[in-house]
Amino acid sequence: MAAESISVIKVRNVLMVTVPPDPDDETVSALQDQVLQAMARYEAKGLVLDISTVQTLDSFFARTVAETVQMVALMGGRTVLAGMRANVAVTVTQLGLTLGGALTALDVDKALDRLNAEPVGRAGK
Amino acid sequence: MNPTLPGEFQIQSEGDIVMARKAVRDAATALGFGLTDVTRIVTAASELTRNIYQYAKSGTMRWRSLNLGGCVGLELVFEDHGPGIPDITRAMEPGFSTGRGLGMGLPGAKRLMDEMSIQSEVGKGTTVQIRKWLKK
Repeated sequence: MAAESISVIKVRNVLMVTVPPDPDDETVSALQDQVLQAMARYEAKGLVLDISTVQTLDSFFARTVAETVQMVALMGGRTVLAGMRANVAVTVTQLGLTLGGALTALDVDKALDRLNAEPVGRAGK
Repeated sequence: MNPTLPGEFQIQSEGDIVMARKAVRDAATALGFGLTDVTRIVTAASELTRNIYQYAKSGTMRWRSLNLGGCVGLELVFEDHGPGIPDITRAMEPGFSTGRGLGMGLPGAKRLMDEMSIQSEVGKGTTVQIRKWLKK
């Protein structure tokens, strides 16, 4: 099965990705590759992952997000997860998953505020 | 009766994990589960179908509705003829994995559901049964 197409867009100095509602593993992996390439290409200071339409966030997805957060941090950027739904938050917590110290925000707008408020270069844990 | 129940689905490729999630989402929604419970059930199914794909390469997911003394529930059974689990107690410990996973699949799925049982024999295969009951 072909991966769903993911587009990484750059707005000012921030990368933005809208994660599809029900991505397969291949799509999740492709997302990580594209984000890292775009980080290098655009010298972005941060990444906003819009997960507001995501219905299922399982352990594979969470691991890939956590890895991406760490990789982006090594490249000097910060990641904000934006718009996690309440039911997904409940499930992720009960499943026992952590998302690698990503910042979080209720929506993309607030995510951009968070990135702009964070000092540049002091990335991740 | 309900068109989405009971049902059976073969897991043979990585893409089938997404198809299995869709089938479970439809079945759980049709039974009347709320959004948070549907998400819990779908996520547990995602973990268990991925286990099948990762460890056994192929297997079957079956689902049916339950009605025990007026209590309505959903049962999912995941069956494979893979390598089996040598030590189920350890496999249920959070963080333990013989694969490349987080070790969250089995213990996580148990927390998300009301009931879980595992039968496994090394070299023969594994059957995992999970249930969620509708709260009135």
